[in-house]
Amino acid sequence: MNILTMLWKNLLGGSRTILFPARPKVSARYRGLVRFDPALCTGCAICRFRCTARAIEFKAGKGEFTWSYDPGHCTFCGRCVEGCKSHAISQDPACPPVYLNIGELKNSYTVARKPPAPKPAQAAPPAASGQTADPATEVRNERS
Amino acid sequence: MNLTTALARLLVFPGVLFAVPFAWFFLWVERKAVARMQGRIGPPFMQPFLDFIKLLGKDTPVRGGAGGLLMRAWPLLAVSAAAGAVGLLPVLPSSGGFEGDLILLLALLEVPSMCIIAAGFSSRSIFGEIGSAREAVLSVAYNVVFLLAIVSIAASQHTFRLETLAQLPPSFLRYLGIAAILVCLPAKLHLNPFSLPNAEQEIYSGPMTEYAGPELAMWELSHGLEWVAATGLVATLAAPHISLAWLAALLFVALSFVVVLLLSVLAAATARLAIDTTVRFYWQCTLIFAVLAISSALFMRFRS
Repeated sequence: MNILTMLWKNLLGGSRTILFPARPKVSARYRGLVRFDPALCTGCAICRFRCTARAIEFKAGKGEFTWSYDPGHCTFCGRCVEGCKSHAISQDPACPPVYLNIGELKNSYTVARKPPAPKPAQAAPPAASGQTADPATEVRNERS
Repeated sequence: MNLTTALARLLVFPGVLFAVPFAWFFLWVERKAVARMQGRIGPPFMQPFLDFIKLLGKDTPVRGGAGGLLMRAWPLLAVSAAAGAVGLLPVLPSSGGFEGDLILLLALLEVPSMCIIAAGFSSRSIFGEIGSAREAVLSVAYNVVFLLAIVSIAASQHTFRLETLAQLPPSFLRYLGIAAILVCLPAKLHLNPFSLPNAEQEIYSGPMTEYAGPELAMWELSHGLEWVAATGLVATLAAPHISLAWLAALLFVALSFVVVLLLSVLAAATARLAIDTTVRFYWQCTLIFAVLAISSALFMRFRS
């Protein structure tokens, strides 16, 4: 008889079908589209390294880099978010929107590289040794 | 009997002109009711009709030889028999027309089922053959109860004539017989929990697997007409005798509608049973009641 109660409730409660542009509610801690904050990104490309679905692309240029994300490839696993030390990547806790054209949700950011933060050792005057910073290290930092 | 009335009954009410739109309507009611009870929206009102029109416009694969001819013939035979069965129902009081009896009605009601069995085997599809075998087993199982119920009604009322049955005041045994017929209807109309011949998840559409286009449209129509005939049979047996024609017609439609809703509730509330469980249900659980009904009817007949 429990099934009859359920049917009666369904009949009174109306259908649960959601009509087209509306989106369903999501559960708590839902992992939706990946959001990118260019202000926080250091351009380390760990996210691209961790993305097994190849949804994130990273192109390094001179003085800038391009970060692209294709939700069509994304499996929403969240490994990029876990790996991002600067918290530039997060996941939208809302259901992905409806889109009508292929690649409509794709986004790409070209971000200028920030100058490296001065090292505490460089900032302080040279101590007893009196040596300057190693020029090779500076080049590596610029390149990275 | 006069010819005009007979033709009017066969072609207008409760025949083709009434039965065909109501076939689509009952198909829609069943689908919609089941959908609403399962928390879905269900099809729009015109969907069964639109499906029919769409299927009529499609091409069918060319099938040569006697097999192809038979495959085209079965749905037409099923539609004709089901429409004839609806035309036989004594809905309007003393309207004349075909003075058919219950035996003819039962025979006509059984023809679509036999056509389905034959169609499945004619199609030479493994799914069709399994579906046909299931339909045959199911048909034997429920028909014993169905026929015993009809015979018990006829024996308790001392007549097999539909016109006379419709005019007689219903007895307790008649209601028992109607209950037995109601138990058989889900199997006859391939509804859950006895939807074995067209179990989509197992054998696709069963005997209908190889059908497409206008032939499939005819099968759909035949199924709808079976709905009207089967629910109409219960409605005519259960309805009290009313001399006003329009009121009798209205009551017939209302009672048929209630039966459709009841069957929809059952279909939504149950899952499909296995074939052996179904056969056991009809042979063990319901047959005993049918035998009791017929023995009481015969006992009463000999006493009176």
